[in-house]
Amino acid sequence: MNLCSNVEIRRCRPLLGTYVEIRASGLCEAQLHQSVNSAFAAAERIQRLMSAHDPRSELSRLNNEAVCRPVAVSRDTFSVLRRATALASESGGAFDYTIAPTLARWGLLPANLSRNNPGGWRDVRLLPQRQVSFLRPLALDLGGIAKGFAVDRALELLRASGVTAALVNAGGDLRAFGRQPYLVHLRHPSLPQSFTRAIELNDSALATSSPCFTECRWRGKRVSHLVNPLRQTAITGAVSVSVRARQCWLADALTKVVLNAPALADQLLARHNAEAFVFTA
Amino acid sequence: MSDWIHRFVVPPAIIISAGAIPCYATQYLTVEQAQKLCFADATQFIAADVTLTRDQMKAIEKDSGVHVRLETQKVWRAQAGDKYLGWLIQDEVLGKHEYIQWALALNSEGSVRQIEILDYRETYGYEIRNEKWRAQFTGKQHGARLKLDNDIQNISGATLSCRHITDGVKRLLALYELVLKR
Repeated sequence: MNLCSNVEIRRCRPLLGTYVEIRASGLCEAQLHQSVNSAFAAAERIQRLMSAHDPRSELSRLNNEAVCRPVAVSRDTFSVLRRATALASESGGAFDYTIAPTLARWGLLPANLSRNNPGGWRDVRLLPQRQVSFLRPLALDLGGIAKGFAVDRALELLRASGVTAALVNAGGDLRAFGRQPYLVHLRHPSLPQSFTRAIELNDSALATSSPCFTECRWRGKRVSHLVNPLRQTAITGAVSVSVRARQCWLADALTKVVLNAPALADQLLARHNAEAFVFTA
Repeated sequence: MSDWIHRFVVPPAIIISAGAIPCYATQYLTVEQAQKLCFADATQFIAADVTLTRDQMKAIEKDSGVHVRLETQKVWRAQAGDKYLGWLIQDEVLGKHEYIQWALALNSEGSVRQIEILDYRETYGYEIRNEKWRAQFTGKQHGARLKLDNDIQNISGATLSCRHITDGVKRLLALYELVLKR
């Protein structure tokens, strides 16, 4: 009988541009803290590799150099790019990780990511030996998928460390495993003080995308950090999409497909064994 | 055939009454726990609280570009016996509506060692500060705070930016440079 089986710790750190909370149980307290430290470190590593804001990140090096020559990247960055490209292709561009120039124009990403006549996801080449090159000037923003990927990495580390139940929540993008399901409440965009009934998470992930709390104005127009790549317009208004999937990177990315191409969403959700919860005003 | 269901939930089953202001609060770590986590080798934490003069506050603002709100700052010097390991500074920054308590641990040469959130609380609903919006609930627990009980532990919704912590780190690094460093 494990004497520590009832101990749960909760920790929280500022990471991935938001507050990342980790809950873990099933080991003694000191070991739990150690596991959680490693999980935070794993998420921090993904942030260091894939932040579009950090000029020293691997992603920034891609954005600066990949149009001139092939750039070799880490296993993790390459893996995220492969998944992102596959999903962009499957969704006909409804999920797009090359929208950084648009966000830069609206002042939501650093100005050095602006491009004249930028290319799109079809201009990203994934080459042997984990090399990446761009066929046209463009800038990548992995914000729609990397946060989920970081949650996945952190959770995998917790699981490998012997923790028996854990939840990693990066500002609403979360994934859990354990003997009992974790309950997660969704917020309603037009009634932000309210919560919906709980959704159960058991060895699965949930991510939410909503422009409701990040809208701002650019030249008199309403803009947000969510871009419809098919129209190059901002998604605004009281809409919120949550997706439950096996992995958090997938849940994260699929929220954008549901927002941008509702007609395609059914098919893609089915293919990835995912489900969506959509709120409109 | 997959077992997928694509559900549209409109409108949701709302479990918190609209009259109350839901407040979500979690204590992650006490200061003592944060001290031990940040400096596992330390044998003592010597209180070294700082009270800033007006000039020091101005200097910190100039150096960091961040407004200094608090005159006094809780600070501990971490030591292993006589050996100086670094500092732990307790601070608070605004979340969306409420202050978040956090701790910054600095290495002996002043670089960031670790950041831990101590206490996180948030009220939900940006309309809450809007008097007109609140007026519609007059007589229904107006302004009451409803603590979200154990039923609501995990929330998914729009992401809260941690920019205020980033600013807080800049401000405390300036405080280290101008006041703590010797």
